[in-house]
Amino acid sequence: MTGFIIRRLGEAIVVVLGVTIITFVLLHLLPGSLARDILGNRASPQAIAAFNKENGLNTPVWNQYWLFLDKLLHGNLGYSFQYNRSVDSLLASELPRDLVLGGLSLIFSLAIAIPIGVAQAVRRNGALDYAGTGVSFVLYSMPQYAIALLLIQFLAISFHVFPAEAPQSASAIGMLEHPSGLVLPVAALTLVTYALFSRYMRSSAIDTLAQDYIRTARAKGLPERLVLTRHLLRNSLIAVVTLVGLSIPTILTGTLIIEQVFNYPGAGLEYFNAALRNDYEVMLGITVLVGVVTVLGNLLADIGYAILDPRIRY
Amino acid sequence: MRNVTRRWAAALGTVLVVLVAAACGSSSSSSGGSSGGSSNQGSSTSTSTAPTAGPGLTSATAPSGARQSGGTVYYTEGAGATPNYIFPMTSAQVCGTQNISQFNAILYRPLFWYGNDYKPTIDYSYSIGQQPTFSDNNQTVTIKLNPWKWSNGETVTSRDVMFWINLYKADPGKNYCGYVPGYFPDNVTSVDAPNAQTVVLHLNKSYNPEWFTYNELSQIYPIPLAWDRTSLSQPAPTSDNGHLPDATKSGAENVYKFLDAQSKDLGTWASSPLWSVVDGPFKLQSFTTTGQVTLVPNTDYSGTPKPTISKFVELPFTSDAAIFNEIRSGGPSAITIGNLPSAYAPQTSTVEGEGYVLNRAASYSFNYFPFNLNNPKVGPIFMQLYFRQAFQHLIDQQGWIHAFLHDTAIPTYGPVPVSPESPLASVNASTNPYTFSTQSAATILSSHGWKVAPNGTTTCEHPGTAATECGAGIASGEGISFNIDYQSGVAAIESEMNDLAAQAKRVGININLTTHPFTTVIGTAIACQPSQADCAWTAENWGAGWIYAPDFLPTGESLFGNGAVANYESYADPQANQLIGATITGPAAGEAQALSNYAQYIEQQVPVVFGPTSIGSYQGDAGTLVAKNLGGYAANAFGYMLPEDWYFTK
Repeated sequence: MTGFIIRRLGEAIVVVLGVTIITFVLLHLLPGSLARDILGNRASPQAIAAFNKENGLNTPVWNQYWLFLDKLLHGNLGYSFQYNRSVDSLLASELPRDLVLGGLSLIFSLAIAIPIGVAQAVRRNGALDYAGTGVSFVLYSMPQYAIALLLIQFLAISFHVFPAEAPQSASAIGMLEHPSGLVLPVAALTLVTYALFSRYMRSSAIDTLAQDYIRTARAKGLPERLVLTRHLLRNSLIAVVTLVGLSIPTILTGTLIIEQVFNYPGAGLEYFNAALRNDYEVMLGITVLVGVVTVLGNLLADIGYAILDPRIRY
Repeated sequence: MRNVTRRWAAALGTVLVVLVAAACGSSSSSSGGSSGGSSNQGSSTSTSTAPTAGPGLTSATAPSGARQSGGTVYYTEGAGATPNYIFPMTSAQVCGTQNISQFNAILYRPLFWYGNDYKPTIDYSYSIGQQPTFSDNNQTVTIKLNPWKWSNGETVTSRDVMFWINLYKADPGKNYCGYVPGYFPDNVTSVDAPNAQTVVLHLNKSYNPEWFTYNELSQIYPIPLAWDRTSLSQPAPTSDNGHLPDATKSGAENVYKFLDAQSKDLGTWASSPLWSVVDGPFKLQSFTTTGQVTLVPNTDYSGTPKPTISKFVELPFTSDAAIFNEIRSGGPSAITIGNLPSAYAPQTSTVEGEGYVLNRAASYSFNYFPFNLNNPKVGPIFMQLYFRQAFQHLIDQQGWIHAFLHDTAIPTYGPVPVSPESPLASVNASTNPYTFSTQSAATILSSHGWKVAPNGTTTCEHPGTAATECGAGIASGEGISFNIDYQSGVAAIESEMNDLAAQAKRVGININLTTHPFTTVIGTAIACQPSQADCAWTAENWGAGWIYAPDFLPTGESLFGNGAVANYESYADPQANQLIGATITGPAAGEAQALSNYAQYIEQQVPVVFGPTSIGSYQGDAGTLVAKNLGGYAANAFGYMLPEDWYFTK
């Protein structure tokens, strides 16, 4: 296992390097100029020339990439001209908040989806299964935006049960100190994620229920509760673990809509805004980060397989 | 069969739930009365009408309840627009409303204050400087200062004004966003301070006093000598000992760099010994990295009135939807002053019913988009005055305002804003010289040698340079086809451009539409020569036109002068240059007439395509919502705020 992890980490470096090259080239193929974008429509030619010189933008692209790599190796993800902040500090303030939002919704959605998915599989084609399927389809087919607005309309504007916006604290701990403000954004994200997980869980559990070892366990008289928890659940979780591994990068940057609607500044929205404003270094910084996290997420999923299924060896 | 029935029942239930949800969703964002299309699809001529937007709150709100002391005003920053620069010498990089009018102008009072009560004029009662006097054939400007104090106890003196000018002159990149090459401070040959309360500027030639007051003196902020250093470890100067670093050009450059770097260190603002020295009515109590600003009264504020509210909190938002949801949801930090995004204009009455007054003030601006007159392919067509005039006939401003902008915009026919009206620029800008009429456009093209092919391609039938011919550089058989690139993500602009393309097609002009983010669009529109690679652009519409700040007089030295910084279209016209020059250097009494002459000429010349100008502090706002229990709030023509005037009532 140790060798496998080291090998995967080595691959990760190559993957991340490739991602930076592709992203860097694509960003520099975009029309317009960073100096113009940043300095605006009143900037004099002298100001534009000074900006380009100061930031190395008057040098060849390969040299600019080398400068970027050099900074990256020194832990410097660059500087956001739009926010007047280092990308490091920008991400350091936003990623913890994203972890709170994405982490809580992941936990809640798994906590709901796994038992319901199993229950649907066990009661396949029963009332519970149809109800669960209906709810999942509704939630899955609804845009995140619509779910978020519905929650706000009913629970914030009409009945004033919860605030319409997330806590505005700059720190993750500060956000947790105002749990009522977290209810709606976490709920909106949970509902969408739940729909996905529950479908996979149901499908996986149905497949597992058809396995010989389930039939054997039942034939041996094992109580149904133990059949479900010891044999069905563990073996059905592999598909969900794959999904969880893949969704880890999404936790950090995939909550764009929720961040927009609930006034929840995070890295997903940051990336979107950076793309609109040609804030190259923010885009590069987040891309590198997502590349790393994606590789790590897959690695964690692989480790999870080995834990869930002792037959799996690396 | 049983299972099939159940599945159908489940599916039907799903559909019903989705429909109910969709219905609920649409109820919160109904499209109101918008017709969803241009109101005038034919070739008929629409008549000019009065502006549909406005007026702003021309006098301060005065609720009937008893006046209270204290209270917190919560204000909505623009979506994604949080302050990121505190030093008032705001560079072009950070030159935005969120940094200037809504932030540092509250902490650091400019030398002169403009725009109160929705008038685009100067207000000396809120200014540090008294009315300037011009002498020596308007080549010498003398400014006396009111005896204001900094919050550290020092007096605001003429040396503080000189400090600002020294830094401005020393900045090698000329980063300050008010800078126009050749003008302030390049046109100031020397500065004297005969005493602590008097500044004398000697100019390189005679300038119109109004122009100089509104477009040059408007750029000055007195700044405290406590900032005249190059590191925080140095003691803060309290007086000029003759050896302060800004006295030399290199020293001033180092001070500028130091203050610029400190200003970019956002996390230290609230605790900085620099930024805590203020002369404005409020000082910074806290600033979060998410962009939330908390201001508290400066108890040493010298101006009048003194602040009544106890706290002014500016709240950051990630989107227009988040702003609107927060306005509607109320709660303990209910929004007191909120900018209503234009997408929610149809719900104005609902929000007003929840305790707000809508201030439909426009910023002092005008909307337009440029052609590239130097484009190597279609530039010769854009160069033709008749073509530009014909094209302006295709702009259905009234239809766009009603159908796409929810009646929250003002028709715009020239560079002088119609609303708020200025006594200094009293031009008849409310009459459309080129009313919407495809027939008129077709007639103009036909009379200049073009064979108009409705819904086809209009081609040049009579090349040549005579009055009835197509014009120089246009070949026989050449068609009119070009690209308009516009800002993506804004429904109103998209609808406008689609309508324009459709109307143009009716006279055989083929417009290809492309979209890009705002920064790309505005970054593509650059002045160029036909031989340059980046001169391929034909028309760029970034949707926000031009805002007059900190050049508050609507003259054209930045816009339409030959080689001006924002003359992206490469318009070059000797008469326009002469008329612009007359607004800058003409006699004091002739400014209004000079502005009128300039504005009328530009309206006639249409060097750019004029379009409806949105109202609101931010472009695209439907106005500003002000809580009904907040008194003392009035619109400012330039978007500045005077929180010292505000008070709550019971």
